[in-house]
This record gives sequence, C-alpha cells and structure tokens, in this order.
Amino acid sequence: MANQTPEHATGSRPEVALHLNAVDKFYGDPSNPVVHAVKSFSMAVAQGEIVALLGSSGCGKTSTLRMIAGFETVSRGEINLAGRRIDSLPPAKRNVAMAFEGYSLYPPLTVRDNIAFALKAAKLDQNEVKRKVDHITALLEIESILDKYPSSLSGGQQQRASLARALIRKADLYLLDEPMSQLEPQLRSVLRGRIKNYLIEHGLTSVFVTHDQTEANALADRIAVMEDGVLQQIASPAELKDRPANLFVATFIGEPPMNVFPARLSVNGGHMQVSVEGTETANGFSVDLGQIALSANSALQDGAPVHLGVRPHSVAIGKGENLGILVSNQWLGDQTHVVIETAGQTMVAVSYSRVEEELGAKIAFSIPARAVHIFAEDDGRALLHGAEAVG
Amino acid sequence: MNHTSTAERMLRGILLTLVLLFFLFPIFWIFLMSFQTNEDILRIPPSPFFTPTLENYIALISGKLSTVAGDLDIAFMRNLWNSVLLSSLSVGVALILGVPAAYAFARFKFRLGENIAFTLLSFRFAPPLLVLLPLSLYFSELGLSDTYLGLVWVYQLIALPLILWIVRGYFEDISPDIENAYRIDGHSWAKTFRKIAIPLARPGIAAASLLAFIFCWNNFVFALVLASADKQPVTVGALAFVTASGIQYGQVASAIVLSVTPTLLLALYAQRYLVEGLSLGAVKG
Amino acid sequence: MTTLELNAVKKSFKDDEVLSGLSLSADEGETVVIFGPSGTGKTVLLRLISGIYDPDDGDIRMDGTSMIGIAPEQRGVGMAFQNFALYPHMEASENIASPLHARGGTPAQIAEKVRDIASLLKIDHVLGHRPKELSNGQKQRTALARALVAGPKILLLDDPLRNVDAKLRFEMRLELPRLLREFQSTTLYVTQDYKEAMALGDRIAVLLNGGFAQVATPEDIYRDPVNIEVAKLFGDPTINLIPSSIVSESGHIHIDLAGSRVALSADYGHAAGREIYAGIRPEAIGVSQTPIEDALQVELIAVTPLNERVVMLLHLADGTEFFASSPEDGAADSREHGPAFASINPATLLIFDRESGQRIQPHTP
Repeated sequence: MANQTPEHATGSRPEVALHLNAVDKFYGDPSNPVVHAVKSFSMAVAQGEIVALLGSSGCGKTSTLRMIAGFETVSRGEINLAGRRIDSLPPAKRNVAMAFEGYSLYPPLTVRDNIAFALKAAKLDQNEVKRKVDHITALLEIESILDKYPSSLSGGQQQRASLARALIRKADLYLLDEPMSQLEPQLRSVLRGRIKNYLIEHGLTSVFVTHDQTEANALADRIAVMEDGVLQQIASPAELKDRPANLFVATFIGEPPMNVFPARLSVNGGHMQVSVEGTETANGFSVDLGQIALSANSALQDGAPVHLGVRPHSVAIGKGENLGILVSNQWLGDQTHVVIETAGQTMVAVSYSRVEEELGAKIAFSIPARAVHIFAEDDGRALLHGAEAVG
Repeated sequence: MNHTSTAERMLRGILLTLVLLFFLFPIFWIFLMSFQTNEDILRIPPSPFFTPTLENYIALISGKLSTVAGDLDIAFMRNLWNSVLLSSLSVGVALILGVPAAYAFARFKFRLGENIAFTLLSFRFAPPLLVLLPLSLYFSELGLSDTYLGLVWVYQLIALPLILWIVRGYFEDISPDIENAYRIDGHSWAKTFRKIAIPLARPGIAAASLLAFIFCWNNFVFALVLASADKQPVTVGALAFVTASGIQYGQVASAIVLSVTPTLLLALYAQRYLVEGLSLGAVKG
Repeated sequence: MTTLELNAVKKSFKDDEVLSGLSLSADEGETVVIFGPSGTGKTVLLRLISGIYDPDDGDIRMDGTSMIGIAPEQRGVGMAFQNFALYPHMEASENIASPLHARGGTPAQIAEKVRDIASLLKIDHVLGHRPKELSNGQKQRTALARALVAGPKILLLDDPLRNVDAKLRFEMRLELPRLLREFQSTTLYVTQDYKEAMALGDRIAVLLNGGFAQVATPEDIYRDPVNIEVAKLFGDPTINLIPSSIVSESGHIHIDLAGSRVALSADYGHAAGREIYAGIRPEAIGVSQTPIEDALQVELIAVTPLNERVVMLLHLADGTEFFASSPEDGAADSREHGPAFASINPATLLIFDRESGQRIQPHTP
C-alpha cells in the first residue's frame, strides 16, 4: 500500500544508502509462523536522509530496526547498505551505530569512556576524541555526568549517554530505538531540534523507531507508518497529513485524530457533493466540492457510500451554515479543543482562539472543501483529497 | 538465531534421554525389585528376567512378614497412616501460623523483622541431632514424648520456615496498591487479607505446602528419637525390614514404592505450582 | 461548600521531606488538578487523603470532619490508581462492584449499578473478563468505574491516563469532564501533562518542592504565573526565557534583547535597572521574513512541524536560542533558513526577577 515504491524513491533521490527489499520476519516455524511480524517490507533511504518508523506497539517497527542492525535474522528478503548486502553479516560487520531504548551502556566504564569507546577503538587522536565528546555531550546536556558510572544514572541520562555513544561513531547508518522515550517533556522538545541539526550537519543517514508522532514529525524527513507488520505509507510529514494513503494513516497521523463520518456522494455532471446523513434528533451536513474532474472508472460515483474525513484543525467554528451542539470546550493556553455533536456523532475541532459559547449551546461550524478527505467504504483507501481536487 | 537445525534437535533429544536414564534408573530398578523375591534380587549375576510376584505387597498390607527365621509382625500400614497424619497435620499447623506471619514480614517493616525472619529460616540449617537430645529430655518432662502433638510440634522446624519464606515472596510480589484499592473501596483489613492477599498468593501457598509436606514425609531422625513404634512414620518403619535373617530387599523395595507413591502423585499433580513457587518465592525471599 | 480541606499537611519519608505544609480547600463538585513534575509528591498527597499514609503533621478534613487516624475503609473516597490496581482474580464486574459490596445493597441493586456505570464508560461488553484479558484502555475505564460507582463525595484520580496510548488519552480527556459533572464528586486529579491539567481543572494546584507554588484557574496560571518554574511547566514548546534587564530612558521603559529594544509599559518603572528574564510564550511571537516595524532582527535556524503548528528555532543577534510557534497556515513551506523579523506584543511579556525567579508585576498607579 506504500505509495512510494523503492524504485520511485531511488529515482527521485541522489544516492540510496539503505535499501530493504521485500523483507519478512517470522517468529516460530517458517512454514507455519507463529507471528508474522514484518510483511514484505520495502524501503529505500537516501544518503543523509532521516527516516522514522512509526506505529503503535507490536506493529513490527522494532523488529524491522533490529533486522537492519543484525540483532534479528531476516526471514526473507534482502537488506543492502552502502552498496553491500548486509542481511547475513553479524552486527559488528555492518558498520551501523545504534542507540538503544533500554540500558545498554557498559557498566564498568564511566559515561565518558562509554561514549569515547568506539573512537578509542578506532585509534583516534586524544585531542580529537575529547573535542568530539565535548561537542556531543554539550549538545545532549550530559556534561555533568561524564565521570559517573551508568548504574548511578537516571533512565533519561542513560538514554542520552547511549545516544551520544551512537552519534559520535563513524558509521554508514545510525539506528535509534525510541531515542527520547525516557526524557522529560521539556528536555525532549529542546533536544529534538538539536539532534536533527546534528544529523543534518554531519549528513548522517539515520532510521529511528518511535511511537510518538510528534517526535517523528519533528525529526524525520520521511515517516514510514507501519501497522500489523505492513508498511502503510512512507512519505514526508506534510504529505502524510495532506495525502494519507488510507483511513488507517489518516486517523493515525494527526493530533487530535481526524474526524471520520460515514457519508454518501452525489455527483451531478461533474459537480460533487458529499453528505452526512442526520438522525431523528440531529441534523446532518454536507460539503460542496464543486466541479471535480472524474475518470469513468473512479469509485467516486453518484450515490457511492464513502467515509468522509476532516481534521479537527480544519473545522471552522463559530461561522458557517451547519449547526451542532457544543459538548466540550477545553482551552490549552495556545489552542482550544472543542467537541461538537452533529449528525448523531461527535466531531472534534481545534481553534487557536478561545471559544466563548456555553456548553449545550448551538454552535455553527463549517468544513471547507479543501479540508475534505474521501475514503473508500470497503478497504479504506483514499479516493480524493480536497486540497488536490478543489482548485 | 531462533532456527535450530535437525542435528541440534537430535543431539538435544539424546542428551535428555541420557539424563533421564541416569535419574530414573534407580526408581525403575526399585520398582522391579518390589515384584521379586529376595532370592531373585540376590541372584548373581543380577538379571532383569524374573517371575513377578505380589508376595511383598501382600506381606506389607497384611502385616505378616515371613522370613527364614520365622514370621514377624510388621506395622507398615500403620506407619504409612502415621506418615499421612503427621505430614498433613504439620503442614496444616504451619499454614495457620506461617501464612499470616509471612504476610506480616512481607507488608510491614518492623524492628528486627528481618532478623526474626532469618532466625526462623536458620532452623533449617541447624543439624537436627543437635536439638534432638535436649528436646527428647524436655519432651519426656512435658509428657510430649511419643505423642502426635509432640511430633507435629517438632515438624514445625521443617515446615514453618519453608512456608514462611516461600509465601512471603509471593506476598511481596502482590502490588500493595491492589490491597490499598480494596481497602479504599470500604473493606476492612481482615477482609482484604482474606479476599485479596490469600487468593493472589494461592499458587505460592500451594507450592510451599507441597514442599513442606514432602520434607515432613521424608523426615527420619525426629520420629526415630521421639516416637515409639505405633507413632512412627514409614521412613522409620522401614527399619523393621532389617531382620535377624538379613535385609528383606523385596519388602524394602515395595515399601519404598508404596511410600513414595502418595508424594509422587501429589508432586505430579502440583508440578506446575511447585516449579513456579520455587522460582518465584524462594529465590526472591 | 467546602468538602475537602487540607491544613498544613506535612509528610516525610525517613529524612526526606516530601510535602512541607500543604493547604488547599476544594468545593463540592469542583475538580482540582494537582500538577507538577514527577517526584514532587503528588501521589503521596492522594495517599494521605485516602488514608494509605498518615500525615506527620497537619489536618485533613472531609465535610468538616478530621480524617486523622481514620482507616481508609472508613473514609468513603473513590480512587483510581495510575497502574489501575485492578483485582487480577476477579472479573471486571466484580472489580467494579467491590465498593458497592462494602456499602451493602441487594445483589440486584448492585448488578444494576454496575451495568449502568459500565454502559456509561462503554465497557459493558467486557464485564465478564478478567483484568489480564482487558486492553489498557478497558482496564483504565474499569478502574475509573470502580472509583465512581458508589458515587463518592471525594474522588481521587492518580494520573489515570498515564498508561494509555495518545489517542485514548485524548478521548478520555474530552469525556472526563462530563462524567465528573454527572457524579458531582469533589475531584482531585493528579497529572504531569499540562494539557490534561488545563483541560480538566476548574483550578490547578502546582506542586513544586513540597509546596503549592500556585493554586489558580488554568487561565490565571497560564497568563499570570507567579514564577519561572510555574511558567516553564505550561506550554509546548515551553516559554522562552531571555536574560535581559529593564532600562528606563527619559521616561520610556524598555528591555534590551541582544541589542534590540522591546518597549515595556510605564507600569514597570518601579523595576528599572533590575536583571530579569523576559518570558515570551512561543505563540506570542510573530515571525515574518519580510521586514516589519518594531520587530527584532533574528535568524531563522530551523522550522519543524508540531501537531498542525510550526515551531521555528530562532537566534537573536548574539546567538541566544528561542522558539516561536504559529498555526500551520501554508506559509510554513516558504519559510527558509536566514534572516527574519520577530514581533512581540509587549502585553504578553512576562517579566521575572533573574535571581529569585519571581514574577515582576507591573504596578498600575
């Protein structure tokens, strides 16, 4: 379902650093696997690109990362890195640096020696080692713990030390497993920007795993969304948001999640309208999409049942032709989250100003045609994105 | 990394078989012996072929042991009954005393708590003969010699520390918040203990009871010194087979089979709890 | 009417003083959020109120009656734990019914109440399941149902959304206020997520260093924090704090940000000459790459999207880092690394004393 095949990616990118070709991971007996953790995963990562593997727990993202690192065998398919096939090489021969989510520092070494370990092993000049260690530790704000031993560190400190140890090495690929999961939120938002800058400055090709889409959006050039072992879509953060390939990606990406309504199309001479039916007690609403150029075999036929998706940020509140009932109103400082009851369902909307209406009051809202996403009723594939179709 | 080749699997199978043979052979041999006459057993060279006989078992159950030197009365069934009675009573008493104590040690930090708990455990390290001599003197003073009560009491040295330490580990594994939640719901402390702590520690209690039962069952010296024939368990009773005309190997073997069977059945039935209890409770405690 | 009152409550563990004299009163039906970073004793406070711990000093009153020395089961509060603390050997329905059993009632009445709350929380289909068969979201709802089912006058919620995924957390955040209104319980809600605190609290009590740094409505806490520590806890990205000083020059008050001036109201005249931090919320900064009047000259270093907003990392002339955020408006893509102009509305500036971290308020004559 990936809308960007490896071939496409290699065509548009200067140089492919990492290439996964139809990689599978089974656990248990291969002929009758107990778990099929990763299903025919293909992806090409360009030199210097930062890619996030994003998904909920158990979606196969960590298995994928561990296969690239060499901690899991590849059940089927192949992995190439920097022009070499690596999937049967032991981890140490792959020239990959990895930062672990858990505790992976060498306990008998101080943080400084942990970080400098690989550099010393590579027989780098003392001053050069010191310069690099100073730089990375300042970046990650761990200068004060350099002479401590791992056992006396908090989870967040260990994680940053592990990150420093991975980033300071010279490698063809940098793998980061939930790199900021243990950090306090305030620190996390500061470090995101710094880590991204560091990766870009040094041109490091990296793949990181996260379940936090804020982190994926902030760090990655492209995000690979996984679910149930299948790569759902790999695209830039903006593209995932504006042109999700299917209903899963659409509702998974975005906070708060996209509102989805069962709806019906009406097409009249190229003029399209999508309507959500009301109930006995609540009015429905519809969005006029205007003139749409349609191909004959399109699923966008008159009367076709579809899913209508609209992001909470795109719902305009306080104006427009539709009426709903305000059932929740939460101001969060720089934005307001409201819930409107309409067509027998609830709809979440985000506004950047305060909403003054009382709870239970009628409130007007409108959905701009550009903000509409239409998905097939059966398999949830995206049929139309308002921003593309509407002029 | 998680693939195993056929060769590996075969090698594993062979090794397992060897280990099993090594451990199970004596039991198997004893089982065979119990169906042989003394003459068959003492044959040289030994042979696995013989005419099976139930004579040993009949002798045990009827209580009449015929030897070359004449007929002997033996109280084997009585001994077996004593074993059951003593072991069950000891475990019962140890549960009544040990489970609340284990809970206290697990939940409440009090002065010398750790020392008391360890002292109780250290009874297991002391050589039984050390305490037996003074004990037998005290027991005859108190009139406890040769009573079930006296034996059950002494058996607490075996059962109580086991129950205490295994069950304590289980109680420690229960999140205190689960009990806190139940009390905040409005239930008394005693009800929380009964409805939350005990049911959640049940596997541990079962495992500890089983182990304690087996250890009591296998005890030899306490009963040898402190009890006379009619209170003695099978372990001591088996001495009766060492007769003037020699050792009655056939009867010894069938006595072993009969006395092992109850604990073996119990252990097989509760095997899962046993392993779990050992690995969770004892190690942690 | 005050239903819960804390009066100079103290609690230490060994030599570590966790709570050093907390006072708070909560009215009937009110939701007070206890907010603070991890390790500040929020959970300890709830445990003192529920009776799991006893305070070393001070008084806890419910409906005017002191609770000191009263056992947890006598207090009649409802509590949901962060780790759910469901009874693993009981079905969800028995878990929920537990407080009802303690209070008495016929089996039919109890069953009905359990069914009612289960359908309200949308877990009626899993009532027969044991906790280990429930998803995290269902566990959390079961724990909530158990806390609510007896309609306690005081409800204690210990970070109940901590262990559920982002989507469920968001759903529950929207759903909870309605639920709490329905039950009319006085609620203390512990969280370390500022969004949850602002969304759910009638008031927020910010717990820092063993005491309440500020107890106020979400609006007041956000717009009018008493010190730097409180200001830093609310907002994402967090508030920018730029070292500066207040300068008074021929009757005009301004602060100096790396060579650029930002005019301040004359009401800050009393603080002229003081070393300060200028606190600027990221969303209060307008960034443009075309020159605008009265704007700071800055350098735009990086643009990152953050939940339908864009966050811009900017450098002042002297290299000081700060962040600006704005709703994603399509202009984001056109923003490029390079010189830019940042405009700051002086009315949104929060001035803090550099040494003490306390707010410096404008003095209106």
